[in-house]
Amino acid sequence: MLVEAAQSDPAKFDALYDLNFERVYAFLASRVRDRAAAEDLTSEVFHKALANLPRYEWRGVPFAAWLLRIAANAVADQFKRAAREFPSPDDPPEAPADRDLQASELRAIEHRAQLFHLVGQLPEVQKRVVYERFVEQRSIREIAKRLGKTPGAIKQLQLRAVQNLRAQMEGGHG
Amino acid sequence: MAKRSLALQLDEAVQAMLVSLQPRPEKAPDRELTALVRVAQALRELPRKEFRAALKSDLQRRGSMNEGTAAGAGAAAAARALHYQRPGLTSITPYVIVRPAAQFIEFLKMAFEGVERVRMPAPDGSIMHAEVSVGNGAIEVGDGNEEYPTAPGAIHLYVDDADATYDSALQAGATSIYAPTDDHPSGDRWGAAKDQFGNLWYIATPKGWTPGPEGLRSVQPYLHLREAHKMIAFLEAAFGAEAMGVHKSPEGAVLHATIRIGNATLEIDEAHGEFQPMPCHLHVYVPDTDAVYAQALRAGATSIETPQDKPYGDRAAGVKDAWGNSWFIATYLGR
Repeated sequence: MLVEAAQSDPAKFDALYDLNFERVYAFLASRVRDRAAAEDLTSEVFHKALANLPRYEWRGVPFAAWLLRIAANAVADQFKRAAREFPSPDDPPEAPADRDLQASELRAIEHRAQLFHLVGQLPEVQKRVVYERFVEQRSIREIAKRLGKTPGAIKQLQLRAVQNLRAQMEGGHG
Repeated sequence: MAKRSLALQLDEAVQAMLVSLQPRPEKAPDRELTALVRVAQALRELPRKEFRAALKSDLQRRGSMNEGTAAGAGAAAAARALHYQRPGLTSITPYVIVRPAAQFIEFLKMAFEGVERVRMPAPDGSIMHAEVSVGNGAIEVGDGNEEYPTAPGAIHLYVDDADATYDSALQAGATSIYAPTDDHPSGDRWGAAKDQFGNLWYIATPKGWTPGPEGLRSVQPYLHLREAHKMIAFLEAAFGAEAMGVHKSPEGAVLHATIRIGNATLEIDEAHGEFQPMPCHLHVYVPDTDAVYAQALRAGATSIETPQDKPYGDRAAGVKDAWGNSWFIATYLGR
């Protein structure tokens, strides 16, 4: 229904984006291992999806799977572009042979996307520590200074955040 | 307190993971810790909030204007502006200017399994600029010329097997300074060699779980300096650097210090014996080139080049410190 709403009014693409951003990003980050490249490709995938939305039809392929197929193609194209830009006969970049995702990979992506969602639900200060530490890659000392806390307190917050996430990933039985 | 020690153990693992070689094998890993480290590893790929928001508003704009084209450049450029480091490089990269650079690149490949990923030839066939990945770090390379004379340097490499890497360095043409030993004051297994271009290589494998305050980068510039303690003050003032683990002699000479800038580190010590000053070139990515350039001049550096936008997509400037080292300051503009 969200898809139909967005097809008739592209301004409603928002909801689809919110539902699928983490999933698409998790997939791309796992493939390219570089934040800037993952961001570029994520941007490319959603713009393509928005442009091609009128052509999406329900044919047994869920919308998320359709997006991931666009993403897999984007990764394969990027490998080809890289091979053209920096050709190296010794070490040809491998284009992923199979653009269809295996069930195990899909499960891993769902798991990762769920984790990214859960970070958003952490208590504010734990969330801040997670972003500063893992995204900004700041040192404990630096975070302590920025948050006006001791390094020991930041380490405790980091532990609690990770423990919280683990417990929730395991359905509250962590 | 068991809780506190888990916090410390997790943080040690996180530090090692954020700037490390491969995850190190743990002795008898604790089950809870192992599960937490798995979550922490996944968090390394957490998307940036700013990027998520920028892309969303870009899509909203396109959606409401009903012009869903496949360009996508707007959000990417806006989001990338927050990325001040060129992909593949960290905050500090040694820039080794030697002659002939092409042969040096072959040495890096043979000795350290370096992977050449960029090579830009100059019109005369020499190498204007090249980048070689080594482990999780990189070394930039160029041919010396009148403007930039050759300047070999000292580089500390963290590798998985110091003995094997030391051997392959010698096979690639380096000469031994000393073979890897367990008796080095760092506690790491550590050997040293000099290559045929004049660079010194300290080849080390950390022993046990000793990632240090910020974990390990494979490639760390190592500066031997006179009055090394003054360099710490200079780097703090110029780059907002943080000194970590400063070991001094009773007389106050710096025996060893690790200095962090952004997400990378370099090491310094007081020049001694055969380890004398080798003024070198360093490439430093910072969030704001203009601000750091001004700070560096205030801290006593002299200008090599004022900040300007470069055709290759960086804003860049250059300064020379009081020891003769050149610092190329850059901010990646995401082009």
